[in-house]
Amino acid sequence: MKKLLRVAAVAAAAALALTACGGGGNTADPANVSPTGEIKPREISWLLSRPADGAVINIMKKLADDYAKDHPGFALNLITTPDRPSYIQKLETLAAANKLPELFDTDATPFAQQLAKQGKMVDADKLLKSLNLYDNYRPGALDYQRFDDGSLYMIPFQFELEFMWYNKALLEKAGVSVPKSLDDVPAMCTALRKAGITPIAIDGQDQWPLERYVAYQPFREAGPDFVQKLKKGEASFSDAAGQKTVKWMAELGKANCFQDGFSSQGYSDAQNQFTSGQAAMYNIGTWELPSLATDKLNPAVRDNIDFFTLPTTEGAVTAANEFVSPSGIGMAVNSKTYDPLVSDFLKFALEKYPAEYAATGALSPTTDVQTAIPANATPLYKKALETANDLGDKQTMPWDTQLDPTTNGRLQQELVLLVQGDITPEQFTSTMNDAIKQNAPKFFK
Amino acid sequence: MLPNRSRTSVLVFLLPPLLLYCAAVLFPILQSLFLSFFSWNGISDMEFVGLQNYVRMLTADDVFWRSFFNALLYLAICLVLQLGGALVVASLLTSLRRGRELIKTLYLLPAVISTVAIAFLFVRIYSIDPVGLLNQLLHWVGLGSFERAWLSDVNTVLAAVSAPEGWRFTGLYMLIIYAALIAVPKELEEAAVLDGASKWTLFTKIRFPYIRPVWITTTIMATTYGLRGFDIPYLMTNGGPGQSSELLTTYMYKTAFTSTDFGYASTISVFIVIECLVAVGLILFMLKRKADS
Repeated sequence: MKKLLRVAAVAAAAALALTACGGGGNTADPANVSPTGEIKPREISWLLSRPADGAVINIMKKLADDYAKDHPGFALNLITTPDRPSYIQKLETLAAANKLPELFDTDATPFAQQLAKQGKMVDADKLLKSLNLYDNYRPGALDYQRFDDGSLYMIPFQFELEFMWYNKALLEKAGVSVPKSLDDVPAMCTALRKAGITPIAIDGQDQWPLERYVAYQPFREAGPDFVQKLKKGEASFSDAAGQKTVKWMAELGKANCFQDGFSSQGYSDAQNQFTSGQAAMYNIGTWELPSLATDKLNPAVRDNIDFFTLPTTEGAVTAANEFVSPSGIGMAVNSKTYDPLVSDFLKFALEKYPAEYAATGALSPTTDVQTAIPANATPLYKKALETANDLGDKQTMPWDTQLDPTTNGRLQQELVLLVQGDITPEQFTSTMNDAIKQNAPKFFK
Repeated sequence: MLPNRSRTSVLVFLLPPLLLYCAAVLFPILQSLFLSFFSWNGISDMEFVGLQNYVRMLTADDVFWRSFFNALLYLAICLVLQLGGALVVASLLTSLRRGRELIKTLYLLPAVISTVAIAFLFVRIYSIDPVGLLNQLLHWVGLGSFERAWLSDVNTVLAAVSAPEGWRFTGLYMLIIYAALIAVPKELEEAAVLDGASKWTLFTKIRFPYIRPVWITTTIMATTYGLRGFDIPYLMTNGGPGQSSELLTTYMYKTAFTSTDFGYASTISVFIVIECLVAVGLILFMLKRKADS
């Protein structure tokens, strides 16, 4: 028996040593965007994090079928995990096992940057230029996908604008108007609460919606560079811009801006509160246009809904037409499996995609097509789309795509505590400064 | 005793499950132990850091200690609900003449419902906006001042996520204890009653000593399950608000799969293994000493 155990232990150790030696290995040249050779059709996979029945997936399925007609044997296997945290875990585990498929979704996170540095992703800048598509893209859509050093490794499939949607009737009832400055928001919440109205509906369960708010004040006060410095430890929450956002978040909490018990309420809970006329404001992007700006919206509130873009502040360094305008999670191309087939399919699909996508009523990441406004749209739909024509050069980057994952997780947790008044702004500042100090160096060496 | 030949055959039959056990349990534990000495994010080169992860865990990580104490409180609440509740219900059941089967089934029902369904169910029960069952009940009985967002309040959230786990398995342990209780010889009990023993004496002197072996097993089962509790807290609050309902297991999971700090997550998992072993050792030691005295 003892002997058997010993044998098992040795076997285990040997297996460990072997797995430790494995991994890594053959990566191709990420800059070689036009591989030569014969196109041999096969099945390729795209690991993605998009709604299962959404426009992107439906269109890409159709384009893959069209491509397969001329290339028998080709198939595009779409593996989607819409829940973002689960998706990220899946992606990171597959990356660790060196088993990433031909195409995979990722934001411009520090983790993705490490993959790019290791040469595991094809240079999208070069790829799009070689396909003569680069100039079609909205600069903002590409910028959203770029890493801090300006390099581009992901291709956008969407273009969205985030607005603060509001209910005119409720604001009127409370005697408040659209805030001119971010600093007006807490007082506005107090007035709305006095009138018995929930000021802002927020999805607290998914954490990113609350994290959006922490990005606003620094973006106005110090511009888009602040978070880039903050995440590396070159700036801190003790700086003027940092303190401004910490204090502002605490004020939002004190003024009871968000619905009671928001931290355990989900995406649809929040949206329902707004569309049922209980909450006065709701911060969400143009991906919700089909439910907020068409006749699908509750008739009781339909005529009262409008939106405003991110308010500025006094002395803001960014303009009113610069706010959160993400191009969604991007698609990266695995350099290891990049061959004439993948290249040829991408050329085929990326050329045809924008027209198909714009026809669904969504904003294309390119400027060469016109978005079709659906027949059941309210006038707000057109207004939202037109906002995209007049955007500044800078954009607010969501912090969850910027910070290292540990600091990001801690920030999401501490923000809830700060807004609920469970910790003071001073405690928040020192906890977050420590978290960055401890975790950032590992990711931004 | 088995003759020699059949002992060999028994060993031969025991071998496959043993190998399976080694591959599925021992190997991952050893692998975690190995990984816990490294700094590794899954895609970088593994860097040997010696005991650094352990030093960080024990001296420099406030979230780790917070989750450790949360896990202990979570365990305590689960144990009280599961074992205490199970013992009370099982004892009452034995004195029931009719409808035992129905009640047993009803109590066991939560154990067969999927965890995700239970988590969603309780999120609704605890909700304040729209008003959930718990707050509604409090309102009806005139305790409106206790109404709150149970899952958003840092003082109540841990108890709120422990209760569903406790509630869920009460029926299962009740069944085990009930089976042990009905196996207590009737003549022993009758003799004691004739000697004038009260219900309480009957329970403490006859019934409980008789079911002690089963009690030990259920305590060990409930403790190890409690220490490994993960799904309900993770699904209901994801450890929040802040770290108020973060358990060692959820923290380990996040460290591994969100922070991609596989080395440090392995260190935490090694701690969980040791913690489980210590807990089981303590239970055996305490109950043995009690039995001896």
